[in-house]
Amino acid sequence: MDSRDSSSSSVPNRDGTAGDDDGVLSVTAALAKDAALYFQSRKFAECVDVLTQLKTKKEGDPKVLHNIAIAEFLRDGCSDPKKMLEVLNNIKRSEELAHASEEQVESGSDVGNKVTSGSKESSSTTHQVSASHSASTIYTAEFDTSVISLNIAVIWFHLHEYAKALSVLEPLYKNIEPIDETTALHICLLLLDVVLASCDASKSADVLNYLEKAFGVGNVSQGDNGNILLQQSTNLVGKLSSVPSSSLVSDASTPDLAASVNASENPLSRTLSEDPLDEMFSTLDIAGQNLSRSADLTSPKELPRTTVDRSIFGVDLKLKLQLYKVRFLLLTRNIKLAKREVKHATNIARGRESSTALLLKAQLEYARGNHRKAIKLLMASTNRTDTAISSMFNNNLGCIYYKLGKYYTSAVFFSKALSNCSSLQKEKPLKLFTFSQDKSLHITYNCGLQYLACGKPIIAARCFQKASLIFYKRPLLWLRLAECCLMAVEKGLVEGSRPPSNRSEIRVDVIGKGRWRKLLIEDRISRSGLVDSVGEDDWALGGDEEPKLSLPLARQCLYNALHLLNCSDSSHLKCLLPSNSSLEENESSDGASSKNPNHKSLVGIDSKPSTLSVGLVNSNGDFKEPKAGTNQEMIHNSVAYFADICRKENQMMKQALLANLAYVELELENPLKALSAARSLLELPGCSRIYIFLGHVYAAEALCLLNKPKEAVEHLSIYLSGPNKVESPFSQEDCEQWLTEKPIDCEEPNGGGGGAATAAKNPSPEGMQEFMFLKPEEACGTLYANLAALYATQGELDRAHQLTTQALSLLPNSTEATMTAIYIDLVLGKSQEALSKLKRCSHVRFLSSNLQSNKSS
Amino acid sequence: MGKKMLNFEEQCKIVNLLKSSSEQKSIEETLTEFFTNPKLRHFNVCYSLSLLLQDKMMLSSTERLVAFAILHRSYSSQKSAANPFISFLVNAACDEGAENYERAFILHLLGFGNSNSSKEFLKQSASEYIKKFDPSSQTFPQKEQLQKQYLEKAHPEPYACLLKSTAVKNVLADPDVPPGCDANSAEFDLEPGAKSKLGSGDRDEALSGLIANLSLEGLIPHWIRPLPPRFPVDEELVWLNPDNNHELQWDQGMCADTSRGAAVRDLIAKALRGPLAPNQQEQVLVELANDPKLVYHCGLTPRKLPELVESNPLIAVDVLIKLINSPEIAEYFTVLVNMDMSLHSMEVVNRLTTAVELPKEFVRTYITNCISSCENIKDKYMQNRLVRLVCVFLQSLIRNRIIDVRDLFIEVQAFCIEFSRIREAAGLFRLLKTLE
Repeated sequence: MDSRDSSSSSVPNRDGTAGDDDGVLSVTAALAKDAALYFQSRKFAECVDVLTQLKTKKEGDPKVLHNIAIAEFLRDGCSDPKKMLEVLNNIKRSEELAHASEEQVESGSDVGNKVTSGSKESSSTTHQVSASHSASTIYTAEFDTSVISLNIAVIWFHLHEYAKALSVLEPLYKNIEPIDETTALHICLLLLDVVLASCDASKSADVLNYLEKAFGVGNVSQGDNGNILLQQSTNLVGKLSSVPSSSLVSDASTPDLAASVNASENPLSRTLSEDPLDEMFSTLDIAGQNLSRSADLTSPKELPRTTVDRSIFGVDLKLKLQLYKVRFLLLTRNIKLAKREVKHATNIARGRESSTALLLKAQLEYARGNHRKAIKLLMASTNRTDTAISSMFNNNLGCIYYKLGKYYTSAVFFSKALSNCSSLQKEKPLKLFTFSQDKSLHITYNCGLQYLACGKPIIAARCFQKASLIFYKRPLLWLRLAECCLMAVEKGLVEGSRPPSNRSEIRVDVIGKGRWRKLLIEDRISRSGLVDSVGEDDWALGGDEEPKLSLPLARQCLYNALHLLNCSDSSHLKCLLPSNSSLEENESSDGASSKNPNHKSLVGIDSKPSTLSVGLVNSNGDFKEPKAGTNQEMIHNSVAYFADICRKENQMMKQALLANLAYVELELENPLKALSAARSLLELPGCSRIYIFLGHVYAAEALCLLNKPKEAVEHLSIYLSGPNKVESPFSQEDCEQWLTEKPIDCEEPNGGGGGAATAAKNPSPEGMQEFMFLKPEEACGTLYANLAALYATQGELDRAHQLTTQALSLLPNSTEATMTAIYIDLVLGKSQEALSKLKRCSHVRFLSSNLQSNKSS
Repeated sequence: MGKKMLNFEEQCKIVNLLKSSSEQKSIEETLTEFFTNPKLRHFNVCYSLSLLLQDKMMLSSTERLVAFAILHRSYSSQKSAANPFISFLVNAACDEGAENYERAFILHLLGFGNSNSSKEFLKQSASEYIKKFDPSSQTFPQKEQLQKQYLEKAHPEPYACLLKSTAVKNVLADPDVPPGCDANSAEFDLEPGAKSKLGSGDRDEALSGLIANLSLEGLIPHWIRPLPPRFPVDEELVWLNPDNNHELQWDQGMCADTSRGAAVRDLIAKALRGPLAPNQQEQVLVELANDPKLVYHCGLTPRKLPELVESNPLIAVDVLIKLINSPEIAEYFTVLVNMDMSLHSMEVVNRLTTAVELPKEFVRTYITNCISSCENIKDKYMQNRLVRLVCVFLQSLIRNRIIDVRDLFIEVQAFCIEFSRIREAAGLFRLLKTLE
């Protein structure tokens, strides 16, 4: 019973009047108070001393054990958070066990009740009730362990283990109502940080909405109205029956009809009240007069939490929430609203320097493409002596310079940021916060991108490998690793691959002299040899071992990315369905709106199959409060908009992944797999024309390798407008569109938006420079050359000859096109023409045979 | 990196073999010597030789005979059709432009016609064979005949990729002689000791160079395989913002006073059994108001609700209002809507409707239950009472616009008509009519 007693009263500051009749209780209460004071003044050693005394009086009390663990951990400088987690989990488990057994006893005694009261209940309701009972078991247990669970989540958060923190926090959040205000607020704020860090927009929106409602600080944009609202509703909660009517009744809500009904009913109610038996009638009557259920105040979710420790309220929390909102809007790329909300944040801060606000502002400008302004804002930061802040500052500058195309400058800033991080690690005493402030892995990821842009695939891969410790669930990381592999192969940095010069030139061995001179054209473009020289590497993720870049590794990475993408697709689909539901839907169909995640978590009911709960949720969704409505709507819209962006990005990534996969399979001489990848690519809805082109070219080559020339021709001939005329498979605009697929403003898609928006819509020259791909005319040339090759193998030499001429005019430097042209000449018996083509081509290297034989042996 | 067809050992072997052909060694001896080396890769050697043979100038006549003999011998243990070079041999035998002794030699090798299948002719040296060759002694069959005899049972073309199967020889003659000169003229052959002049060259040097550099792959049409573009970096760079610090929390509940909570729990337990005294009721309401979380821990569960409603409706209302945000509220409503109709339950519902927004479905179901309760009750007096109660309740709901009459119009109208003898029902009916 002990644990239940202590658990049922976790509300703070209620121990002022300890029961005088119980001497033990008062002693322990005094000790507990002392310990709490020591804890608050951060005197952890003294705190532990007091707690140890307390422990002898309350043997095995989990709350005492918990506080001892916390105090000792802080006293010892947070040295071993993993061990701390273990300790906390053990305490939590023991408390849960104690509770479970208690619940069992209680449920046994409840059986009788159930029978009597359940006479009218249908079988389904009975089932529901019993189900709810099991739910309530968890519920009370969660409550009792809410602080300890919160602390577990705090440690996971600082260790960047967001998924683990989330798994602890979500059950708490679902049953947040019974948890005392201070803890509940901490839970919500931590949860918000966790979901924002894991880029989960819809969950962030839920928590934001909840915080604004429950803690009454939401309507910041309405000035100080929030406070008034808060007080009024406090009143309301306090004495429900006697609502101070006149001040709160909104006039609009008493239309004539109701008034007239009221009037006509007056005689009736008089006669009724004559009935001496039913005092209820009078209450009915009172209720009739007090038509004061102003929707503003009494819709259930508007009941603000009232007894929160006031110290954490006020401007601080207001500012904090406002900044969270900005972060949320930046996450969902709702730039315009983010700008507005950042302004509000500045107003709230009233001139106080907030480095968070400043960095957010800079991020906003960065997101808008105003790179210069972003730099300026960062430079304005006065707080650069703080190591943690300066590491962020340097990292962010690195991001900006990267976007400006100045990769080497960005490299300097990234490495500065990294060295900031390592000096942060050396700072003593160690704080728990230090762990979460160490963002070296994030910065390392940025480094990886920068090295990739600089054409250094091996060191880039090393960075991505390190960053995989936290980003291993991001498909993009795996795509980047695959790109590292492809670049390394391309550059000849991989064991068994040729140096780059060998790929872009024709090598001709000159053998013999004089009349005996022979030219031997080396077929260096053919890719055989690459495959068997590269073994399957078992590269352990996150291991110290350096990844051996290879084509099989690229394939592995691409598969990983596709798998992750498919997983996130299916989960996205789940959130997406309801996010499309509009307000009308909410009103009309109960069933459909029950899926709405927004509403669902507002009430905290997850999936309890009760029609009543749906109804309740539904009535919540009514837009009776315009102010909160717009706010909520804004957040809702942002989530939907972001989901749209994510879907689009995933589509793009899928195209890239499948194209890369088809390419890698071709390189690995697996035409069947290449063909299936290329076909999947072509089947993707909304596929960019660039990738359609790649899909056709890869599919055609794979079919060619599978000896299906007819089908191969089909893939290429869709670009034929005449017998020997190829149409451009994509345009320059397609390239630009690919680079700026994501729209910037969600509010007004066609609105002016100022110079920033337009600037962001046109790819910067730096952006185009980074997009290293065939120009449209080169793509044409590629098609000509490949068609020529295809027809040559089919014996249609004349046609092949014509096509190859076209190809060479568009791609004069292509070794492949030249080789095909020479081939056709030789087959046609025009060896002199072949010779002259060979000698004209600028990409031929003639090697004397002596040199060559030395080299080869 | 074009793969070299022959390793160094094989290259030496071939060069020596070809050289030895000019010596007075019998062809058989040369062959035996050549094939004693087990490390030779027959196909590679033969393929190299076939490439050299294609160039009419490259090998001397004796060298050619030895080379043909090797092509044949390498696969002689199998049926002729299994020899991958059989069609090459057949074509060479039919080549009108070739020397007749060469064609005859190949026919001998193939054992064509009535020529003795013995390998007698191999016992002489290549030069002897040429010298002794009598053109009149040999008739040359038609190509078709040879093809029929040797290729008929040939395997279908082995699988090869389309591009590769159409490969052409990748060696081009590019004689470097002064313009106007005949490259085939022997004047350009380098004479030992003589001063080299423009356009001269050494055949042996060219030959060993070729042998060293021949590759298995011929020249084939080339496919352009564009490298996919790198994925654009858009929002991918990680921008860093300061984290909020989340400190470890002290559990304030440690050793806290629980006496008042316990008192409320006791009172609630009592309230399930019967009405509380006014001061007790007041105590419960005050404590619940003081601590908004206490309601979650006062010992009430959905199943206990009906008892609380019947015994202490006011406490029930207060508790339900406080639980409105609880995840369990739906279950409380379910229980409430399904419990027996009574004055108290109606009072609770009525008060709830004025205090909080109830789910529409809940109110609707509740009204339906009210009406059916009125219809099913047997005791006339009780029925009258209940009907009047329901009527007032409904009027209150309508006036306060808790319900939309249209949802229940038919049902309520029928109810009014059934009980039209009761004054309140008539009143409700009139109210309905005004709203129509």
